[in-house]
Amino acid sequence: MLSRLVFVSGIVVHASRCLHTSSQSLAPVPPLPEKGGKVRHGFIPEELFQLLYPKTGVTGPYMLGAGLLLYMLSKEIYVINHETFAAASIGAVIIYGVKKFGPSVGAFADKLNEEKVAKAQEVKDVAMSSLVQATEDEKKEQWRVEGRAMLFDAKRNNVAMLLETNYRERLHMVTNEVKRRLDYQIALQDLNRRLEQEHMINWVEKSVISSITPQQEKESIAKCITDLKVLAKATQAKATA
Amino acid sequence: MAGRRAALKAIDWTAFAERVPPNQRTMFNNLKTRSDAIAAKLTSLPEKPPAIDWSYYRSVVAKAGMVDEFEKKFSALKVPEPVDTQTAIINAQEEEANKTATAYIEASKARIAQYEKQLEKFKNMIAFDQMTIEDLNDTFPETKLDKEKHPYWPHKPIADL
Repeated sequence: MLSRLVFVSGIVVHASRCLHTSSQSLAPVPPLPEKGGKVRHGFIPEELFQLLYPKTGVTGPYMLGAGLLLYMLSKEIYVINHETFAAASIGAVIIYGVKKFGPSVGAFADKLNEEKVAKAQEVKDVAMSSLVQATEDEKKEQWRVEGRAMLFDAKRNNVAMLLETNYRERLHMVTNEVKRRLDYQIALQDLNRRLEQEHMINWVEKSVISSITPQQEKESIAKCITDLKVLAKATQAKATA
Repeated sequence: MAGRRAALKAIDWTAFAERVPPNQRTMFNNLKTRSDAIAAKLTSLPEKPPAIDWSYYRSVVAKAGMVDEFEKKFSALKVPEPVDTQTAIINAQEEEANKTATAYIEASKARIAQYEKQLEKFKNMIAFDQMTIEDLNDTFPETKLDKEKHPYWPHKPIADL
């Protein structure tokens, strides 16, 4: 019965939560509001108080409530029996439990949800950053590929250098060979000349020695001895003087 | 001497080195050492051999006419240039490399387009705390629970929980 009251007041006042009257879907569906409708004392919606405020002021709804309660009790529309006390005790325990442990349980449930969302968010962030990185890498690879001409330039340079080196070596070889041949001729000439000279000298010596007769030999030896004597006297005289 | 001295292009080895990917670095180093060795050998050889002093030889060598004959034959001699067999091959290689390079760049561009598309999808996604399960299944089809294959809760193999 009270839920019907809430329902009615919901339609009247909450115009922002629209009914699905047309077949078109209003996507994205607006999210549910964070908190439920405001209530006083846990189950009486605030809208009732607002409704009655212009006519009866602040105490109006309370008087209405108290009056209704007294009316139901006195006319025995609601009969007090043993169920009343059971309901009262159970209600007391429930209210105590919810007031004590409600916030912490709510926080725990919220934390679970937060973790799920955070995990999903992290996955999304990692995916996005990896995609950005992959794009960067692809661009870098394209830049690298652009340098392929340099490789072939280097290769052609190498080939040209080798050819040039080979050609120069050939030139050098030709010159050196010609020089060697000419130097050989010169050396050959020198050798011939030297051999002739030596042979001539030997021959002259031999003929001179063979032409010395024994008579001449004795005369030359005697002359040498007299010369030596004269020299000895001269040196003796020099030594004593 | 037209074919000789094909102009040596100056190669910027540092810029070249930057473009080499790390997995080909050893090949690049080998190429560089070989090129440097060849260049060093080239610079060590003088361009022209020293000229032969014909007058000296003419005065020293006794045999008449020998030096003159040598001189005549020497100046008439034409050293043949070495034949270039490799440049054509290198040019063909370059053509092929250009073709593969363009193909690779095309594939790379396709990949980049793919990445961009996925990035756009991520950027235009609604925030996770605004999503319903249907929205999640639309954005990430892999999260959709296959209710035909596994009709009973939790709609996936127990091992995947």
